[in-house]
Amino acid sequence: MKKTPLPIPRISLLWLLVAQVLVILPHLFHLPVWIGGLWLVCATWRIQVFRQRTNYPGGLTKAFMLIAAAAGVYASRGSLMGLDAGVALLVSTFLLKLVELKTRRDALVLVFLGFFTVLTSYLFDDGLPAALYSLLPVTALLAALIGLQQSGLSDKPWPTLRLAGSLLLQAVPLMLVLFVLFPRLGPLWSVPMPGTGGSRGLAESMTPGDIAELSQSSALAFRASFAGPIPPRRDLYWRALTFEQFDGRRWSQLDEMTRSRPDWRPEGPSLSYSIVMQASGQPWLFALDTATTDLEHTRQMGDFRLQRRRPVDQSLLYSVTSWPQARREVQGSPRLDVALQLPDHGNPRARQWAAELKARHGGDPQGLVDDLLGHFAREEYYYTLKPPLAGEDTVDHFLFDTRRGFCAHYAGAMTFVLRAAGIPARVVAGYQGGEVNPAGNYVQVNQFDAHAWVEYWLPGHGWISADPTFQVAPTRIEQGLQQALPAEDTFLADAPLSPLRYRHVEWLNQLRLSWDNLNYTWQRKVLGYQGAEQLKLLESWFGNVDPARIGMILLACLGLLFGGLALVLLKPWKRPHDPLLRQYRRFERLLARQGVRRGAGEGPLAFAERAALALPGQAAEIRAFAQRFAHQRYADAAADPAALRRLLGRLRRQLPWRPWWRTGNASAGVRGG
Amino acid sequence: MSSRLFASRRERWLAKRIPPARQVRLDQRRIFILPTREGLLFGVALLVMLLAAINYQNSLAYGLTFLLLSLGLITILHTWRNLAGLQLAAGEAPPVFAGEQACFRVRLQSSGRAHSGIALGWPPAALQRLDVAADGSGEVELFLPAGQRGWLRAPRLRVESRFPLGLLVAWSWVDLDLAALVYPRPVSGELPPAGGVGEDDDEPGSAAQRSGVDDFQGLRPWQSGDSRRRLHWKAWSRGQGLLVKDFTELHSHDLWLDFDSLGGDREARLSLLCHWVVHLTAHGQPFGLRLPGVSRPPALGGAQRDLCLRDLALFGLPAAAQGRQP
Repeated sequence: MKKTPLPIPRISLLWLLVAQVLVILPHLFHLPVWIGGLWLVCATWRIQVFRQRTNYPGGLTKAFMLIAAAAGVYASRGSLMGLDAGVALLVSTFLLKLVELKTRRDALVLVFLGFFTVLTSYLFDDGLPAALYSLLPVTALLAALIGLQQSGLSDKPWPTLRLAGSLLLQAVPLMLVLFVLFPRLGPLWSVPMPGTGGSRGLAESMTPGDIAELSQSSALAFRASFAGPIPPRRDLYWRALTFEQFDGRRWSQLDEMTRSRPDWRPEGPSLSYSIVMQASGQPWLFALDTATTDLEHTRQMGDFRLQRRRPVDQSLLYSVTSWPQARREVQGSPRLDVALQLPDHGNPRARQWAAELKARHGGDPQGLVDDLLGHFAREEYYYTLKPPLAGEDTVDHFLFDTRRGFCAHYAGAMTFVLRAAGIPARVVAGYQGGEVNPAGNYVQVNQFDAHAWVEYWLPGHGWISADPTFQVAPTRIEQGLQQALPAEDTFLADAPLSPLRYRHVEWLNQLRLSWDNLNYTWQRKVLGYQGAEQLKLLESWFGNVDPARIGMILLACLGLLFGGLALVLLKPWKRPHDPLLRQYRRFERLLARQGVRRGAGEGPLAFAERAALALPGQAAEIRAFAQRFAHQRYADAAADPAALRRLLGRLRRQLPWRPWWRTGNASAGVRGG
Repeated sequence: MSSRLFASRRERWLAKRIPPARQVRLDQRRIFILPTREGLLFGVALLVMLLAAINYQNSLAYGLTFLLLSLGLITILHTWRNLAGLQLAAGEAPPVFAGEQACFRVRLQSSGRAHSGIALGWPPAALQRLDVAADGSGEVELFLPAGQRGWLRAPRLRVESRFPLGLLVAWSWVDLDLAALVYPRPVSGELPPAGGVGEDDDEPGSAAQRSGVDDFQGLRPWQSGDSRRRLHWKAWSRGQGLLVKDFTELHSHDLWLDFDSLGGDREARLSLLCHWVVHLTAHGQPFGLRLPGVSRPPALGGAQRDLCLRDLALFGLPAAAQGRQP
């Protein structure tokens, strides 16, 4: 027998419309603008269909709309592959499905598509506010699901919403158990990641302008929590990558540097800390020198940086152990000649100055370096984010003419001179410093903390770091960028509303730090709860963690919670009560308040007669109730508690109001009479 | 063959688990629960979401997947609870003629909690839906085609609920011992003259006239089935209520509907007799009924009509089928 498809109740359609808005709202930040227009068209069309002003689209129209949406995605994303385009397609389908929403089955598909669309929004923003917000569309989708049921409750929006909310609340304990105990697997296959609008932060090559641009960004780069006390700010040089290649204008990295493993020996005390970095779109991680990590698919590269096999497309939590005093490549390295490369010509003054320095210091390269650093400290150099435009020979121009620049200028120039003087050297790019958050005891590093410094190699010592910027602007290193530029007012000049600009306002700063701490905790405890972190937590709770045991614990916890919820919901200890008897008890209480109490063993009719005599004004109502009750209870008439309730209400209105605390006196009076 | 075997075994199992009763309270022994097709689709959606969560290593995606999974799990409790504690009681089922729809009333009574979206009926026919408020009750009328005369025993009644999310269905098969008496299908036709009714007896006027010449017995209160022609309008206008002029027909004029005097097969005869019982009662004509083994002396009124129709309905059926009282 073929069933006719069930139509969609009006209320459910309304819920679906609301849910759709809530679902696509967070997507509007990264989807093409026309998606909003598409939603308007679809919603209007569906409402007009509902008002019977127009018809459902035909097959041809539907096909056309689908193709148009796909073409729109292709036009705005340049592809139909990839996560961005995929999500745009998903959202388009989700919207178009609304127009052809006819049967309950369609509505169901729409609801499930909605859940999936909410899930994809997490791939673009998984912050705490986004997570909390997503409860709204989920609740609305649930309400739509309830609205699809044919029941009187579904027609009322508030009870529906309340039911949806209470279902969600009841699901939370089970969800937490599953979240904590469900084993986290590695990715089963590789999936397209969200394009974050190009990579953020440091890039594979550097001109001074790049760093200047970064220093205008208040975006978060990463946060680091130390096991012990946080080292002083001036020691926080977070390495990201190194630049070996100079073409006269631009420093860039050399691919072969990244391949081989370097030779180094841990020495001195070590530092343990964990870092949660934001998505950067680049494979390298941030760490203090010299770092090791046990993160999967990650290793130390030839220039001591940490690099992951895949780019960091989502925020990433990893633990690092660093040996700041480690000795690196003391025996030299076959790649040292790379650290001496210079363009064939250009910057003659710098080369000449290097020759002079080399002549002066002869066989004492360390003396040469000290002299060079001292030069920056002694002479009139200025630290500024607004250097004059560079000429043809950028190094010459900076070193001898303008003498104004920021870290990239100083590091680039120093490396150039060292190489010209025959000392292997390279530019290290990364971040310097960071803001200590006292609320959470961690260091927060923003993009404007981006920094470049120098690393040079001496025989018998290995690689040594040096920071020419420190000679020029020690406040930049010891306090931060904002403090180093008090007069310039260039700090975050493009973002007048950034709370980072208002660090001097005490309460605002407190608020910002607390909020940041909350976000960091969220990132570490919730978003970072993956493979290794889960193992660590479960080991601390249950000792050894073999899968079978965790599975048993998971099932036991689920069973316990489910049983507990069943007890609360079903209340098996509560005897099924008799609705008739309940009304009769109310009747008795009502009369008792007037001083008439049923004697033990007194039948309902006899009692009613006595009560009618005691309360002659209400005799008719008393008898009516008692007779109806006896009729329903003993004479096999259909039980109808609602009728009894009505009769009882009538009686109550007839009776004089008497508060319960005065019933004692009244009863004495009646009995006396 | 095997499906029939299965059906009968299932029937026996159900009869043991949920024995027939006029009143049934749904409890854990009587409620079954399974996912619906929508629920399976939901499961597939969850699987896809879990795959996305694993591949993207996204904690929030895991969270949402687990939240929805937990929701599916606790819906088991809610769907089950929505049916548990509901009391079903058989209401009356008025007799019908064969070929009509028999109507069974079923009363639903809550015992403390509200029951939403309860559906009752006999699949594959569409189920009737209603809500029962907390401490409230409701009544549904269910219809079954009445094919043959005799007792129409309703099959086991399916009670189900998919509330709140439609992902699961909780159901029960209850036997409320619902039965309706089905009279033979009335078929008009001629009665042979031997029956004592004139050839033109179809004409109501003659019947009324004849009864007019019978002895006037007195007045008695009106009861349903009495002819309006016999109403004592004068008494009514005096405010004495509806009275009917009662006549006793002389024995020689008694009208007997006699099974043996008719031709045709048994069912055709019963149908004809059925028609005449209805017709004569409607026209205020007293009659007697003679069936092999049964004889109803002539009388008039609703009671006579019901007795005779019952005789006709159950005539010749096995005793087991007759013994059933409504």
